[in-house]
Amino acid sequence: MAKYTLGRLGMSLVTLLLIATLTFLLMNSVPGGPWLSEKTPSPETIKALNEKYGLDKPMIVQLGMYFENLIQGDMGVSLKMQKNRPVVDIITEMFPVSAKIGFFAILWAALAGVALGAIAAYQRGAWVDSLLRIVATIGISMPSFVVASLLLTTFAGSNASLRFFPTIFDAALGVKAYILPCFALGVYPMCYIARQTRSAMLDALGQDYIKTAKAKGMKNTPIIFKHALRNALIPVITYLGPQIAFTFCGGFVVETVFSVPGLGRYFIQSISNRDYPIIMGTTIFLAAFIIVMNFLADFLYRVVDPRISIGQGGK
Amino acid sequence: MSVKKNPIKFGSMQPDIENLLELTPEDFAFASREQKEGFIQERASTTYWKDAWRRLRQNRVAMVALGILVLYLFFAFAGPMLAPYGYDQFISGSENLYPWHYSLKDQRLLDSFSGSYEERLATAVELAELEKGAKLSAIELATLKAKIRTSTPDIEAFKKENGIRLKAFGYSQAELKRIEDGENVFPHIFGTDKYGRDIMVRIMIGTRVSMLIGVCAALLVLLIGATYGSVSGFFGGKVDAVMMRFVEMIYAIPEVLVVLLLSTALKPALVNFQNSGSGFFRNLVGLMGPNLISLFIAFGLLYWVTMARIIRGQILQLKEQEFVTAAKALGASSGRIIKRHLLPNCVGQIVVTTCLQIPAAIFLESFLSFLGVGVSAPMTSLGAMAADALSGVVTYGYRLVIPAIILSIMILAFNLFGDGLRDALDPRLKK
Repeated sequence: MAKYTLGRLGMSLVTLLLIATLTFLLMNSVPGGPWLSEKTPSPETIKALNEKYGLDKPMIVQLGMYFENLIQGDMGVSLKMQKNRPVVDIITEMFPVSAKIGFFAILWAALAGVALGAIAAYQRGAWVDSLLRIVATIGISMPSFVVASLLLTTFAGSNASLRFFPTIFDAALGVKAYILPCFALGVYPMCYIARQTRSAMLDALGQDYIKTAKAKGMKNTPIIFKHALRNALIPVITYLGPQIAFTFCGGFVVETVFSVPGLGRYFIQSISNRDYPIIMGTTIFLAAFIIVMNFLADFLYRVVDPRISIGQGGK
Repeated sequence: MSVKKNPIKFGSMQPDIENLLELTPEDFAFASREQKEGFIQERASTTYWKDAWRRLRQNRVAMVALGILVLYLFFAFAGPMLAPYGYDQFISGSENLYPWHYSLKDQRLLDSFSGSYEERLATAVELAELEKGAKLSAIELATLKAKIRTSTPDIEAFKKENGIRLKAFGYSQAELKRIEDGENVFPHIFGTDKYGRDIMVRIMIGTRVSMLIGVCAALLVLLIGATYGSVSGFFGGKVDAVMMRFVEMIYAIPEVLVVLLLSTALKPALVNFQNSGSGFFRNLVGLMGPNLISLFIAFGLLYWVTMARIIRGQILQLKEQEFVTAAKALGASSGRIIKRHLLPNCVGQIVVTTCLQIPAAIFLESFLSFLGVGVSAPMTSLGAMAADALSGVVTYGYRLVIPAIILSIMILAFNLFGDGLRDALDPRLKK
């Protein structure tokens, strides 16, 4: 176990390093730079700025310096968007906003998805099953910007008759401000999870151990919850691992539509602004998050299904 | 046994088990030519594809989805040829039309209603006189005046009273005049945008772009994913471990980053390439626009991982089977074994995964167009149209709703058809 964890940790670090290098190379091979704006500064100014932030050095040296600072927990400072503010500060300010929305979104998505999927599988072929299948397929067929903007026009438009919610996100409004973004962000994962749970549940319900449990005279409730559902959860966990990371770091679209000042929207803006340190910082943060979540998912397999030896979970 | 449970078709030579013991002399007669042919047809061998098609045909949902897709194809590829407007044509005088209109007569009535007191009075007098057939008396005129002065104009009641209703499709004033003169004018079925471009034609072109992107990107994914996956699976061991680590790495890179950076990085290079001369590929780049090409490349670079994983899993299973050993023993090269023996055996999985990649590609394209890095103007796509509409969504909601619904139905049809295809090609997977 310890050996496995260590090995896994080493592998994760290598992956992270490679991702950072790839991002760095990709980012720098793109024409344009952080200093371009409506008013292009003079070549002397650009030269001076490049010197100040070390952008005049060869790429490999820049990358080396970046890693050296990264190990000490320094991700550099923003070059353009919030000039000279440390990237770590920016991430710690923006991430909680996205994470709060992401948490509630994934929470309702997972709970509703698993429940609906299990019900559909249990009622296989009945009208409940058909209805849920249709709803879930429609749900995964609607791009998030469609869901978000339809919600916005129906419930928050300035002349909509159902004007319950604010058009522009404002955390001070409390629950009201969170409902629409959380709902919009959760629709796709919810439908996806419901579909996955349904097919995994059907698989589990057809197994011999369910027959055995029934033959023993067990009641339906423990059969469904203790025997079938537990085994059906593995693919859901596999999906949820990276999905939690993505959702916590912000649905880019949902944040754009609802004007949420979160990390996802900021990341998109930083790419078009070529604010290199912010791009690097956010990418590394997100990648590390995904790696950690994948690791947790592997660990959870074991909790759900003790037969799985760690490191072999997830099909 | 007088009632046959399973009546057997006339001319069939299959033994009638239910009535086997009730033989008559006719049963021993020579079989006619038709009977023999019927027998051969009944026992005709079915191929893998015929069998799959038969199963697919029985799946009603999948067939409806297929029908919708065919309709979409017609809409997207033949539609723009039938409509008299161009997708980038500014029709002056037709800006900002709704997909509905009032006829000219109704408009005049409404104008009179919403006019000043004198105007309203004049219309009311005119109407009353028409009804009475003579001039109004002084008393009647006075009551009418009082009524109009005290009553606040109620437009809804007025509309109801005069049978003024919104009529489908949008027409500009000039076009309405031409209709009144007896001309046939092609309507703006979904209205027009703020530059006076016909929204329906733009949606047709947008659908075409989205479908093309979906299919091309899925084929690209198929090419890369199948090659990578089969090599990784076939050679196994260390090769496999390294290649799969790489796949995991790709999973962890935020796709938005790659796509956004790539599309900006490739744009100048593609524009140069396009201007460097002519030829099939250069024309292709010119036709699709640099943004679209970089989108394909980004998609190909990112989305092959799922395909690679699936193919690898299949190959890992298949390569242990006897026919592979036989091929090896006969001295076939690795490439030949993969191409001729392994890949054809996972064709079902390949087709299904490719089909389900199409909606994913359309999704990504609409998402990118929404962020403003999708297709370049004046070309359009459904995502780009929805994004453009977002700024004026309060007044012109239909501009957002129509492309959004068309896009969602298309993805839905692809998803349902893909599901049906999976059930048909690989019945074991049917859940």
